[in-house]
Amino acid sequence: MTKEKKLSITIDNRTVEVRPHLTILEAARTHNIYIPSLCAMEHLPSYGACRLCVVEVDGLRGFPTSCTTPVEDGMVIRTDTGEIRTLRQEVLKLLLSEHPASCLFCTEQDECKDYQGTIRKAGVITGCRYCPNDTRCELQQVTERIGLTETSYPVYYRNFPVEKNDPFYDRDYNLCILCGRCVRVCNSVRLNGTLSFKQRGKITTVGPAFDRTHLEAGCEFCGACVTVCPTGALSTKTSKWYGKPDKEVATTCVYCPVGCTLKLQVRKSEVLDVLPDYNSALDHGFICVKGRFAVPEYVHSSFRIPVPQRITPLGYNDISWDEAIAEAAERLAGVKPDSFLMMVSPQLTNEDLFVAQQFARQIIGSDQIGSPLLYDLGADTGPFVNLVSQSSAFDVIDDAEAVLAIGFDSTYDYAPIGIGTKKAAQRGAVLVTINSCDTNLDMLSEMAFTCGTEKWSALVGLLTGASAQGAAPLFPTWKKDIAGIQGIFKKSTRKVIIAGPGLLAAPQRTEIIEKLLKVKEKGGWDIIVAHPYSNLKGMLAMGAFHGIKTGAIINENGQAEGVKGDLSKFDLTKGCTVIYAVGVSDLDSLPDCDYLIYQNALPSESQRRPDLLLPAALFTESSGTVINGEGRILPVNKAVEPYRSAKPDWWILNAIGERIKKGVMKYAQVQSVQKEIAKTIKGFPGVKKRLEFSRIDVKMKTPKGAPKMRKQGQFNYRGIPLEAVVKGMKAIEERIELISGSNRGAI
Amino acid sequence: MNMVRNHVLISIDANTIIAGARAVEDALIKEIARQGLSQEIVVLETGSVGIEDQGVVLVVYPEGIYYTNITPAEVPELVEEHLLKGRVVHRLMLKETPKRFVITKEKTGLMKEQPRIVLKNCGFINPESIDEAIAADGYQAAAKALSSMKPDEIIAEVKHAGLTGRGGAAFPTGLKWEFASKVDNPVKYIVCNADEGEPGTFKDRLILEGDPHKLIESMIIGGYATGATKGFVYIRGEYELSIERLEKAIADARSYGLLGTNIFDSGFDFDITVMKGAGAYVCGEETALIESIEGKRGHPRNKPPYPITAGLWGKPTIVNNVETLSNIPEIILKGAENFKKYGTEKCSGTKVYTILGHVATPGLIETEMGTTLRDIIFEYGGGIKDGKRFKCALVGGAAGAFLGPDMLDVKMDFVNLREYAAALGSGAILVMDEDTDIVDMLKSVLHFFKHESCGHCVPCRLGTARLVELIDRIAASKGTSKDVEGLTRISETMKDTSFCPLGQSLILPVSSSLKYFKDEILARVQ
Repeated sequence: MTKEKKLSITIDNRTVEVRPHLTILEAARTHNIYIPSLCAMEHLPSYGACRLCVVEVDGLRGFPTSCTTPVEDGMVIRTDTGEIRTLRQEVLKLLLSEHPASCLFCTEQDECKDYQGTIRKAGVITGCRYCPNDTRCELQQVTERIGLTETSYPVYYRNFPVEKNDPFYDRDYNLCILCGRCVRVCNSVRLNGTLSFKQRGKITTVGPAFDRTHLEAGCEFCGACVTVCPTGALSTKTSKWYGKPDKEVATTCVYCPVGCTLKLQVRKSEVLDVLPDYNSALDHGFICVKGRFAVPEYVHSSFRIPVPQRITPLGYNDISWDEAIAEAAERLAGVKPDSFLMMVSPQLTNEDLFVAQQFARQIIGSDQIGSPLLYDLGADTGPFVNLVSQSSAFDVIDDAEAVLAIGFDSTYDYAPIGIGTKKAAQRGAVLVTINSCDTNLDMLSEMAFTCGTEKWSALVGLLTGASAQGAAPLFPTWKKDIAGIQGIFKKSTRKVIIAGPGLLAAPQRTEIIEKLLKVKEKGGWDIIVAHPYSNLKGMLAMGAFHGIKTGAIINENGQAEGVKGDLSKFDLTKGCTVIYAVGVSDLDSLPDCDYLIYQNALPSESQRRPDLLLPAALFTESSGTVINGEGRILPVNKAVEPYRSAKPDWWILNAIGERIKKGVMKYAQVQSVQKEIAKTIKGFPGVKKRLEFSRIDVKMKTPKGAPKMRKQGQFNYRGIPLEAVVKGMKAIEERIELISGSNRGAI
Repeated sequence: MNMVRNHVLISIDANTIIAGARAVEDALIKEIARQGLSQEIVVLETGSVGIEDQGVVLVVYPEGIYYTNITPAEVPELVEEHLLKGRVVHRLMLKETPKRFVITKEKTGLMKEQPRIVLKNCGFINPESIDEAIAADGYQAAAKALSSMKPDEIIAEVKHAGLTGRGGAAFPTGLKWEFASKVDNPVKYIVCNADEGEPGTFKDRLILEGDPHKLIESMIIGGYATGATKGFVYIRGEYELSIERLEKAIADARSYGLLGTNIFDSGFDFDITVMKGAGAYVCGEETALIESIEGKRGHPRNKPPYPITAGLWGKPTIVNNVETLSNIPEIILKGAENFKKYGTEKCSGTKVYTILGHVATPGLIETEMGTTLRDIIFEYGGGIKDGKRFKCALVGGAAGAFLGPDMLDVKMDFVNLREYAAALGSGAILVMDEDTDIVDMLKSVLHFFKHESCGHCVPCRLGTARLVELIDRIAASKGTSKDVEGLTRISETMKDTSFCPLGQSLILPVSSSLKYFKDEILARVQ
């Protein structure tokens, strides 16, 4: 294969070299030549609606649009002739004839900017500033570049009612210029297809077909449409009037193990909004509703614990950090190792988890480290953790020939995996789904097996060839389908199983997991596990887990032998002296104790009242790293100062630990924790690298007082359901409930 | 065997059905039976005979007498006088049989032979009978092409014949087929564009209603020549009778083995599916039509890629108009040289026109390329109605140009008209007499465009809306001369920047009406 030859083109008398297969607009942009455009956008297919990017090309008739015309070798292009300028102005005038333009052409414009800084002062009636996008608007920028200062048409107000009935974003189609970006991003990028054009001609609008609400139409609320909207037509409910952010901080989402890049939009001490990063190699900007919309409301919730608090008979009293640390240290000093319990959330950062296990092991001398995982999974924790430790990189989907999705639905989470799967199916991979209700992948699947969770194990065994014992009679009507799929799977070489959160709700989950592990080893399947325990791999790597030493499971040299863990003596029902819960909020499940320390950002919803409340900083307020589902180390970056006197988890643990036993930890900043991790875990790589994990074999027996299956279908962060603090998530939860009953999966 | 003395052809097309053709047909059959003539007189259904706006039309052969505006009440008299007693009912007869009613095979009196290629069988055979179509040379060309010609020979013949697209763009058909045949792809499609949306045009409908087998045959040949094994006919949903007749014709052709596998034992497989349009003018644009067949919204696509390389479902797709395709059998059967005898040097063959408006005899005609507007209006159309004077004609549908008296003697073909900044377009000729208000006419044209703009691009979506506001103001005598300038400015912007031909061609009616009637328009604003 020869390398593709570069093309030589002339733009505005400048001869430049460009890659082939670019449009003129893309070629010009790579050489910083400005051509105005409102509908063209990177990552979206060409559309050619705004007609502002017209250029002249020697040998082509008329004025081709640069966004739709591919470059050819030797092309001579002029982007800025007098005729073109006139045409652009005329087209822009037409465009603005149905777009409120008071922010563009008002004679009072400068005065207004100086003296009337807030939207709240001026209403719709005066015709000014009822667009939430002022100063962020692409239309304003383009109008300025084109140099249009007045228009010859009276502005026609289309008078569409502003649509506010769906969660997360509002839609004011009076401001819409029908550039089609939202429709294209929804259909071509997100492969979701909620949005389309309605009506035609002058009365065209955008929305779901048949006037359904977005929720009903299957909208994922990924917010991609809001992100790409060049005007104020689509706007985030929570931040629409907040104006321009000061800075942008890239970080990693900790809501699930995919670990998408989030671009936090920050002004002063506030995260205003979150945008996706379309250039992220990991997630390609395919963030889900949680990352896109559920961050600001959570981290700036008015329910945040502001300061340390101590319980008194009359309620909680505010105390200083000094007092709080002293009290915790006093209670913890001398506690017997086996009557201490450290509960950690798998949604903490590696640094927090490292310090937490160090605290338990080196300060208290106890290996009693548990997590909510144990309550969710009980005796199935061992196989599950083993499965997670052996999961593959997400990009195995990209060239998969066959994909089997079990209990997986990517409407509201795991979007990059879901979109990867849809893309695979679109390019011809065979997709098969198993679920107890309809999923968003069914439409693209070869076969969607919708059946009760109790039959999944048999079905998985049959389809993958793990074991067919006694299973066939269970599916009399699917005999042919199953045989067909079996044949396809047998022939395929690159095969991926996606084990979704629904798997955790199946009664025979251990049996299924064992089958999956078997086919991974023998049948050449790759496995991706989509589960709700974001930094579970980090928790295992850091050893913040009973019986697993720090760094033990990192398979540095590719050794095949596994790590043995033993949870059989770990009794979660035995009463304790002190329980220290970090980021864990289901306090009612915890065993009895004399003293309960609750370290979290939001108060627990449990009946049980902790003795000491320690306000923790959230992932937007402290730095660190997490290890995502494919074992990649990803950075979590501090964007704003912690709320009131909240502190990072590692800081609090360090402070109490130092008070009890001086000289063990001594961490002044997060970098010193990271140094210690690097020292402790040999070969712990830097950010963005991928870790190989050893197999884990955890001995288990059902803990006493066998854990009940927890409420299903909840999105949690640090034990708090997102719907409790993020208004829109309530509608999402209701929608899931409506579609799937309670079969969506644990947490 | 019965001796049939007379054949009565009754034109059953969408227009005559509205005028009550079915009732007349029933009455006729009953009356013939009542008078005991069933053994001697046969009533035959046929497509349009080319006479429009004259109610139910009957033709009695062998005399070749045309009766128009027939109602059931007149049937007994007609049967008794003409069919029983052999006396022509002069009261009901079409007084003067214009040229166009003469079919190639007949020479009547002093009238010379007329070229009928596309409409050869229309109004002559029963369109619902495949046997009649075959008797009238149907499928002979396909048989010849598939059994004795190679695909490139067919393409060479079509190229040599100089056939150009009759939908308006006049792209050489042979060249299009040649491109398509050279694209290396096992799956190709041939699509017939029967989404006839241009106001005033109904030629494709009458072709489909009158001789659907010709289209099927043409598509078989086209598919064979280009390597397409699947054909689609995209018909306006309103053309119910066309759809019904075409579907019947396709079913008949299938049962005769003319569609399906191994046609004429040539090893060539071909089949046709009929797709119904849902009433969008823009779907006549080939890429919008393709989107519509795919089940998507009727928006035109970016070009390139052209359909010839990536069309329907991304596969190479040939899109041809009904009339274009209907020329193919004649070319194959009689050769390119014979085809080139008709028409002008640059545009060979014939053109089907629909004449309507203020003419004495509106209807459907087929004449050679290069016929002047004067001939069409005054000879075929029978001149201006009620002896008034000619003002102008809107040629080519709404996206066409107004042609004034100075254009009457210009030879009309695709190439020549382009030099006069006009277009033959779909072949609709809307004639206006001296009393026509040009502002009202322009207003209705602009309203049409506003209604049919798909909304994809800014200049067309908002340009048509603004033009309508201007013309409404001018029509209400509330406009200013600035508004008239606005008409030109907007339509020029639209010409240069619109996404597809819909917006680009609006300049034609606007600039041509201003060319001829600027004073009249300005008089409305002063």
